[in-house]
Amino acid sequence: MEIIRTEALIKDYELGKVKVRALDGIDISINSGEFVAIMGPSGSGKSTLMHIIGCLDSPTAGEYYLDSVLVSKMSKSALAGVRNSKIGFVFQSFNLLPHLNILKNVELPMMYGGLSASKRKVRAQEILEGVGLADRLKHKPGELSGGERQRVAISRAIANNPSILLADEPTGNLDSQAGGDILEIFDRLHKEGNTIIMVTHDPIVAERAQRIIRIKDGLIDNGDLDS
Amino acid sequence: MAISIAESLHIGLSDITTRKVRSIATIFGIILGVISILVVLAIINGMNASTLTWMEQRGGTSKVDVQRNWNYDFSKGGEANLSLAEVEQIRKMIPEAVAFNSQVSLYSHNELKYRGLSYYSTVSGVLPDYLQVENWGVSEGRFITDLDVRESSNVIVLGSSAARDLIGTNDVVGKKISLGNNVLEVIGILDEKSWDNKQSGSFGGNMLEYMNQQSFIPISTAINRFDNTMKVSSLQVTAQSPNQALTLQKKLDQILLNLKQGREIFRVSSAQEGIMQMQANARIFSMVFVLISAISLLVAGIVIMNIMLASVKERTREIGVRIAVGARRIDIFIQFMIQTVLITTLGGVLGIGLGLLILDNISAYLEMEMIVDFRIMFSSVLVSVVVGLVFGIMPALRAGNLDPVDALRED
Repeated sequence: MEIIRTEALIKDYELGKVKVRALDGIDISINSGEFVAIMGPSGSGKSTLMHIIGCLDSPTAGEYYLDSVLVSKMSKSALAGVRNSKIGFVFQSFNLLPHLNILKNVELPMMYGGLSASKRKVRAQEILEGVGLADRLKHKPGELSGGERQRVAISRAIANNPSILLADEPTGNLDSQAGGDILEIFDRLHKEGNTIIMVTHDPIVAERAQRIIRIKDGLIDNGDLDS
Repeated sequence: MAISIAESLHIGLSDITTRKVRSIATIFGIILGVISILVVLAIINGMNASTLTWMEQRGGTSKVDVQRNWNYDFSKGGEANLSLAEVEQIRKMIPEAVAFNSQVSLYSHNELKYRGLSYYSTVSGVLPDYLQVENWGVSEGRFITDLDVRESSNVIVLGSSAARDLIGTNDVVGKKISLGNNVLEVIGILDEKSWDNKQSGSFGGNMLEYMNQQSFIPISTAINRFDNTMKVSSLQVTAQSPNQALTLQKKLDQILLNLKQGREIFRVSSAQEGIMQMQANARIFSMVFVLISAISLLVAGIVIMNIMLASVKERTREIGVRIAVGARRIDIFIQFMIQTVLITTLGGVLGIGLGLLILDNISAYLEMEMIVDFRIMFSSVLVSVVVGLVFGIMPALRAGNLDPVDALRED
């Protein structure tokens, strides 16, 4: 089943008086349960594509369907709802809230989703136990290692059982050992049926994916590695 | 989808507690503003209460006084007094009065004598209603009655100081004293009048002591047995209510003008008029000082706004994360709004606490009456909430309007 579909996605930025085209007509289709890597050099438009797929940004033109719903024309507050229930983000720099303990960090999307305090606590505990952080619930992010922090971030991303997991260079700030552990978790989540879209420029990381989408100059690059 | 107010409150509170030093610095201005409001309103309240006590002691808020107009130029003719016939005429014209007294003063006879002792006292001839118009009572014996007035009885009622200094404190009632060529029987002693003007500080003391040194005889006794040329110099009337007093004041003014052929020989005043004047003064006074306080609160508000704007800037990434996990603009807006209002409200409450502490000390030091009531405390808190609402809007809007992509890129 198709979970993501974009048609002629275009994104323009205005930098002063100059108009810069970041995406120049992207057509992609991703099925539910797929593990896809998006690769491309910096400035290729892969971050922009990820922001649009993640509903943090809207395209200038073209259409984007998520779960068969046209989200490219949605209002900003409707997009907040979509981000909350259908999308889980994992960032390169973790982006945990430093003054909240990790339990509260994982509870955050469930809080904005309107889940009761007791239910979300139970759920957050469950998830954190699943990534081996059961004994760290009350710790602040600053007291954890990079690998542990990224596991918290993954826990937060899957808290609301999203339709897709969007990971932006999730191992970029980690050593190879911790990075390997994180990729193991993504593999496991993929086997459990999650749809994973991972932005990376590391070919070794990208190899884990079933399919690689290459972006270059705002277009899908169908060069020698056509899939 | 929306997060609850309780949730937002919780976030706001934890924000404040994790940034204690900044929060305290932020609320400093509001604390000072609220303290100044509290102190000013307490002083005004104290002044009003003190003046009301004085009014009460001087006959209550329904009293109307008729006295000689000291600004009248007597070269234009007329006399500063009323004949008994004129008084009777006036009395018949104001049947709505609850109590009516006419008064003559025995300036020529003021030396009370008892067993070789002398006491100089202002002696007045009055009617039985005098007790009521002056809101006074007797501590011993009785006051002058209608019968005393009819018979021009040789009786006298002494003020508390006059009684104590002339005769003593035991068995005063029934003693015979002399005044001029007449022997008068003491039939009663008046309650002690007392009013400490707290607002004048240590210069206070009992401002009504002069009343305790007075003494009273029936008006008929004064005229028939001491000086039959004496005429009435003042009237005191009690109306049914403070509002009625204003009507009665106007009516009496007209009656006296007609009686004296349009000459403004008498001045009619009412306690209510005085209270209204006092309230008008208090309003101006409080408006001026509330304006000054408002300026300090405005400055405090601008400081808070700037600190909150800095806080939004500093927390840009956090805001981006919250948006990424599903917070709507309104959620972010409310989070910062609540935080600002919580800080200013906390400042208001602390300001009241500190203000009460300060008032306690300065009112004792200045011997000044300052009254803080629930209304003042409520309006102080209300003001701090409003400051938070007004000056919280800009930072909260800025936070709510952040672009998530830019916010997440921020370091």
